Amino acid sequence: MAFDFQHCIRCTVCVANCPVFKVNPVFPGPKQSGPDAERFRSNDEASIDRWVRLCSQCKRCDVACPYGVNPAEIILKEQARYGEGHFKPLAYRLFANNYWLGALGSIIAPVVNLLTPRTFVKRVLNIFGISTAIPFPQYRFHSMNRSWRWKGRRKSRKKVVFFYGCFINYNRPDIGRGVRDLLASLGVRVVIPRQVCCGLPALGNGDMKTARKFARKNGRILAGYIDKGYDVIYTCTSCGLSLTQDYPGILKVPDGKKISENTYNLHEYILKLMEEEYIKPAFEPLHRKVAYHIPCHLRALGIGYPAARLFEKIPGLEVHILEDNCCGLAGSYGFKRKNEETSARLGADAARAIKATNPDILVSDCGACKMQLGHFSGIPALDPSEILRESLKKGPKDSRSQGVE
Amino acid sequence: MNAIYDVVIIGGGMSGMMAAITLAEKGKKVAVISKGDPVCCFSTGCIDVLADGDDPLEGIGSLPDNHPYHLVGENAIAHSLELFKNIMFEGGMPYVGDAHINRKVLTSLGRCKITCLVPETMEFSDCDPDEYIHVISFYKMKDFYPQYITSRYPNAGYSVFDPGVITTPGIAEKFENKTFLEEFISWLGGLDIPEGKIALPAVLGRSLAGKVYHEISAGCGRKVFEIPTLPPSMPGLRLFGGLKKALLRRGVNLYWGRGIYSVEKLGNRIEAVTLDSAGRTTRVEGKAFILATGSFISGGLYASMDTVNETVFDLPAFLPGARETWFNDDFFASGHEIEKAGIRVDPSFRSVDAEIENLYVCGSILAFSEVMKYRCGHGMAIATGVAAANACGGLV
Repeated sequence: MAFDFQHCIRCTVCVANCPVFKVNPVFPGPKQSGPDAERFRSNDEASIDRWVRLCSQCKRCDVACPYGVNPAEIILKEQARYGEGHFKPLAYRLFANNYWLGALGSIIAPVVNLLTPRTFVKRVLNIFGISTAIPFPQYRFHSMNRSWRWKGRRKSRKKVVFFYGCFINYNRPDIGRGVRDLLASLGVRVVIPRQVCCGLPALGNGDMKTARKFARKNGRILAGYIDKGYDVIYTCTSCGLSLTQDYPGILKVPDGKKISENTYNLHEYILKLMEEEYIKPAFEPLHRKVAYHIPCHLRALGIGYPAARLFEKIPGLEVHILEDNCCGLAGSYGFKRKNEETSARLGADAARAIKATNPDILVSDCGACKMQLGHFSGIPALDPSEILRESLKKGPKDSRSQGVE
Repeated sequence: MNAIYDVVIIGGGMSGMMAAITLAEKGKKVAVISKGDPVCCFSTGCIDVLADGDDPLEGIGSLPDNHPYHLVGENAIAHSLELFKNIMFEGGMPYVGDAHINRKVLTSLGRCKITCLVPETMEFSDCDPDEYIHVISFYKMKDFYPQYITSRYPNAGYSVFDPGVITTPGIAEKFENKTFLEEFISWLGGLDIPEGKIALPAVLGRSLAGKVYHEISAGCGRKVFEIPTLPPSMPGLRLFGGLKKALLRRGVNLYWGRGIYSVEKLGNRIEAVTLDSAGRTTRVEGKAFILATGSFISGGLYASMDTVNETVFDLPAFLPGARETWFNDDFFASGHEIEKAGIRVDPSFRSVDAEIENLYVCGSILAFSEVMKYRCGHGMAIATGVAAANACGGLV
């Protein structure tokens, strides 16, 4: 593991796949910030690679690398090391604690939603290094942690814990409740225990300590359920990647391996139920043209594109899969002022590719992708689960689920 | 997670992707598994069929009897190249050329490379030494020095444009921007260049290259062509991107970025392979499998001190002899014996040394292909990929 960087043959495929490198000439790219610089790094010396912070951790280099070097992993490690030894600007501190921001935003949702679009508030945010180029997501008081915590027959053979993630929790709880109802309608017992942020925002902002704190807490909760025969379900692909890759990996969660082995993407899980013949869903036709923007972290999971495989089963649905562009928002990355331009250029590129397919709606698993691309393309952005619910005649009844705009 | 496919293709390079497209067009349910982006990303984007002689297809007759091209046959090779051209045309990145004619492409070292099909952006790349070529270089661009060309073409000149960035992907991204393109065209128009062609390093955009190329040609009213560069090579990336898009359009499922963890065999059939996903393994089940993992550089073959292994199914690989005989003394001499290493197949593209009835093999992993010696890499990948797909498509 520690010497994986030595396998790099400098083929530059990672560089060609790096969205940040493409638009920001200051970032030296995954090859130089990853394996190349790794040769000169030592744990005895302070980290000096300021530019590792420019990496958005989209992991496209990891997916592209044919030699198993995983440049993004190397950079992530260095981001954490750099974060430990250097002053963290306020924006980094705030976004690392995105979970608490969300909690606050949710409690005083009407006030926050009223304030964030105001010019003077935007100016203040800008002073603190926070970008207001795209509208802030709206917060909801009726969050997932204030929703009904279980659904489905108690004696079901299939039991799952739903890990919803911060975006669904505080900003789009309607999607989360939809997922809960969808799974229950498929004969699955769903439990939604108390949970905290997966830890990825803290990790991405160079705050390893906070990330580990969050991860350990979730680890205890999820492992407890897994021991009782539950599987863990996620819809947010970044939370999923964190649970399956970072918990047993860089975050060193005690039960990380167990969690990682028992965690499923929602659509992967539905396909599994279908293949085990536990369910035989009757998909109703949907006459729509969908652009499916594949989130970078779904690619990084290495499970294929399970939602796309479910879409194939819906008669009449025309799906264009787009996987060559990163939306550029990358969680809190694009909300930092210094990344604003990078993020906007990538968002515009991805939106252009989407519009070229002339879709009625765009679909993406990731909350950030939906926010960014909904804004740049002006096309309503939906979650794949919303399409499934529609085809299975299970909603959406919630009017808020019509895109994020 | 189980997945049941008609055909599972292991390897997302030229050969694997062409096999996937062929099968998907026959209505088969296909999955492609790839550990990472393929070697064709580093290539010039040109399709070499056989660099010997003026007619590559005719030259195939004079190849050794055991060369995989003979398993495909001249007509089928021509057909698969035509299929490739149609796919790239449909993806908006047309290729030009004729399977019966070899052509020359100017390289960044000022020498010519012999190839067969080229992207439309290199259509006018075949240069007469008497012709005037004006090379456009970019300020501080890495690994592209017009002096290499002017030293070999005394009749050539060059100018330097400053795009504000120095890397190939960075400049390519700029060219896709309308204002930048207009600015460049007006700069080009302002130059005082003698009558002749204009050559640029291959940086004219990524997915929109065709559009950028035509706008520049129309803007300066001359024949324009791209010169392939070192990696990151835009024409190679466009080729990969074009084929991948064709896969997605045909409903092929992709499993990208993860290697094969284990293989399930039942009797003399492969039942499933397991991928090394994040956290848990992902099982992919198929009725037939195609192995297109490439040769040493792609990791399909692995050479230890005294033997050569096939890395996914551990198929017996042909070895040209003891290690002492693997290499010529002259490193740059063509035809090192080790190039012959690989999987020997029968006319239905199944391994002759391993009795597995639903495993087909194609691409540069095939024994005796000697891709470097005959300069037939992409051509062989396309031809054997389509042929292996046809051989297995009839059975599932």
